[in-house]
Amino acid sequence: MEDVSSRGLHFQLSDSQRNRLRKSRELLREAPGNYHPSAFVNIADPIHVENEATVLKGHGTQVLDGQLLATLSGVVERVDQLVTVKPLRCRYNAETGDVVVGRITEVGTKRWKVDINFRQDVHLMLSAVNLPGGIQRRRTVIDELNMRSLFEENDLISAEVQSVHSDGSVHLHTRSLKYGKLTNGQLVKVPPYLVKRLKQHFHNLKSCAVDMIIGCNGYIWICAAVDSLPSNPEIEKITGDSGAPEMDSCNESISLKVRENICRLANSIRVLSALGFLIYPDTIIDTFDASISKGVAIKDMLGAEFLVMIAEREASRRTKNNYML
Amino acid sequence: MALEFISPEGLRLDGRRPAEIRQLRANLGVIDKADGSATFEMGNTKVIAAVYGPHEVQNRSQQLLDQALVKCEYSMANFSTGDRRRKQKGDRRSVEISLVIRQSMEAAIMTHLLPRTQIDIFVHVLQADGGTRSACINAASLALADAGIPMRDIVASCASGYLNNTPLLDLNYLEDSGGGPDVTIALLPKLDKITLLQMDAKLPLEMFEKVFELGNKGCVAIANYMRNVLLENTKDLAFARGVVKV
Amino acid sequence: MVVGLSAAERRYLTDGIAQGLRNDGRGLYDFRAFSVELAIIPQANGSARVRLGATDVITSVKAELGRPQASRPSQGRVEINIECSSTAAPQFEGRGGEDLSLELSRALYRSLLCNNGTGPAIDLSALTVIEGKLCWNLFIDGLVLSSDGNLLDVLAIAVKAALSNTGIPKVEVTSAAAAEQEADFEISDNPDDFSGFDVSHVPVIITLTKVGRTYIVDATEEEESQMSSAISIAVNSAGHVCGITKRGGAGLDPSVLLDMISVAKEVSKSLLSTVDAEIMAAESRGDDQM
Repeated sequence: MEDVSSRGLHFQLSDSQRNRLRKSRELLREAPGNYHPSAFVNIADPIHVENEATVLKGHGTQVLDGQLLATLSGVVERVDQLVTVKPLRCRYNAETGDVVVGRITEVGTKRWKVDINFRQDVHLMLSAVNLPGGIQRRRTVIDELNMRSLFEENDLISAEVQSVHSDGSVHLHTRSLKYGKLTNGQLVKVPPYLVKRLKQHFHNLKSCAVDMIIGCNGYIWICAAVDSLPSNPEIEKITGDSGAPEMDSCNESISLKVRENICRLANSIRVLSALGFLIYPDTIIDTFDASISKGVAIKDMLGAEFLVMIAEREASRRTKNNYML
Repeated sequence: MALEFISPEGLRLDGRRPAEIRQLRANLGVIDKADGSATFEMGNTKVIAAVYGPHEVQNRSQQLLDQALVKCEYSMANFSTGDRRRKQKGDRRSVEISLVIRQSMEAAIMTHLLPRTQIDIFVHVLQADGGTRSACINAASLALADAGIPMRDIVASCASGYLNNTPLLDLNYLEDSGGGPDVTIALLPKLDKITLLQMDAKLPLEMFEKVFELGNKGCVAIANYMRNVLLENTKDLAFARGVVKV
Repeated sequence: MVVGLSAAERRYLTDGIAQGLRNDGRGLYDFRAFSVELAIIPQANGSARVRLGATDVITSVKAELGRPQASRPSQGRVEINIECSSTAAPQFEGRGGEDLSLELSRALYRSLLCNNGTGPAIDLSALTVIEGKLCWNLFIDGLVLSSDGNLLDVLAIAVKAALSNTGIPKVEVTSAAAAEQEADFEISDNPDDFSGFDVSHVPVIITLTKVGRTYIVDATEEEESQMSSAISIAVNSAGHVCGITKRGGAGLDPSVLLDMISVAKEVSKSLLSTVDAEIMAAESRGDDQM
């Protein structure tokens, strides 16, 4: 018998831990304000609509013999006349305006290709980045040849989705000082359906001296806050401009305390992801605080006891407050 | 001396009735790094399937401009069969079954919605006791659904045969090697369309119809089981996350 | 396996290790939690599945009767074969995983058996049925379903677990045969007649990965991508070193090497007790379900 307690973390639970986890999951199922059973559909299940002709068929639907059927196993969402089926686990679905964290996979002619957990690698055009110096000017041949001095293969960047085209291609831009190359931290990957689209995706946690970027694509970047680094105060977060000397000074040694905070936050996110709970600043910080107040060592956060404890906390919170996120 | 596949009381070698499928068991999300994955068991036959994608096409020259490129690989573990033998990857049987699985899934995947992408399906047989082809198709179906890839319908597959003058459903290894015909069917149940039909050995036409109908019923039963597994999984994920206010 | 990391991430990772704090909060010598499941392949004589982080392997032991080697008439044979499934990574499709599979097979063989199968890990003389004529040949197969680093250590744990789960049926010699003739025998079907294996001598493997100037235990795929070299050391419960494998292009100073071996011996003590505890827990879970 398999004891897959959660995705990503594998260990055997003791009998009491297993019972506690099962109880928490049951409480979550019965929590008020939850999904109505009719919202769940399977592939090729009919979706109930008043008038099939006037309804707008969104993602996850197909029409067969005048009937609207689902093409995914997921939850039906209705907004006005638009009916879609949202699968839970799937690749990121890019939408204009989303803040994403991505990895450069290719440096091409006048553009980079970026992996953002989308079904294809997306484009970042040379014309869509801020050149060093900050002034707006035409891109020259020199710029094209020097693309690698801005971003090279495997670099991590934060960017915004500029446009999603009808042929499925997606373009990013980094035309703002807050976007650009990412340094001094680590990346945590979670399934995109656990990330809530919020107004703010850049978070500065002053008490921990840590910055966090929660990409809508499930890539989360946690790094030492820029002002906490013991480096040249004139260095601001520049978009791109790098080369070995810049790299080293941006990556000044991070103090152990800050490093521990980054680790703790990363593990909080990993635990939430393993349990399938929504990931946004409130839940992350709550898990972080819980681990400190209960005296859990950072490495033990990925253990059975802490996992069960977080599950119980979430279950009690949702049942108590009629918590609609 | 012919082996008696059906006892006088009408029970098969493992105690089943002729039209009974073996016990089914499936789990989703068993390989963390894959986009979708599933294990599928039919009696003692155990297989595992992993789906990577849709993602960027690895080999640009193979890219299809109007639809997704679907790739599939079938392998058997060294310990999967009773007599342990070194399985060569890429031997003819594996290549043929890889092709068969790919074609069955391609019929269901809405590839035109995912142009210029690639979907990799990997299936590995952990324990073989007859019906491996069907188990692989079923596992691949679940893995694709787990990965959130749009499909016209779930693909369900089952094998049926004919021994001791009786149509039998879901043959195990002993029955499969009994010398009778072996009919494998893959079905899109809601659309009621067949995506795979294979048969070994000889069978008179009237008998074929009976065996074929039996196989069809088996596919429908398996599809119902798969739908339940998918629904439960969706509910688990949804309730864990909670409702997100838009 | 190639894991692409940016220069910044690499720097962060190696600096962290140098300070004794890894990306998931572990110390240098901490193993990740793992789970063991036994009898996962009922058709085999013994089997196990071990999951550690995202690494997932299945091992099975199959016993077949055969003739012993002429040079070793009173011992059975053991063969180890590892395969990396394409389910672990698209790069393993076709023949992509062959190199890694071969490397793992050889390293395991060297650590568990060595000397053409005369190593102390498995008592090969216990596999003899009729000296010179009939013996059990064990085929140990491993399948890597998913990988997040440290495959060798996990496979070693899985092999130990599978062997502990292995039952060899009793063989009744029904007719005493003359020197040249084949013997007649009967294999018992009764599960109560199955004899188990003594796995107390089976070693565990500790792989020490050198990143910069520090060595870590149980490296993730990310950490392995930054290694300069790695040493895998097999240590058994008696504290004896059973086999050593070195990987990676960078050379190692002999004093560093000796230090790494002593670290491995230290770590192996706690790992062995954890593995034994997990195997026992898995066995009792299995018994509960009977």
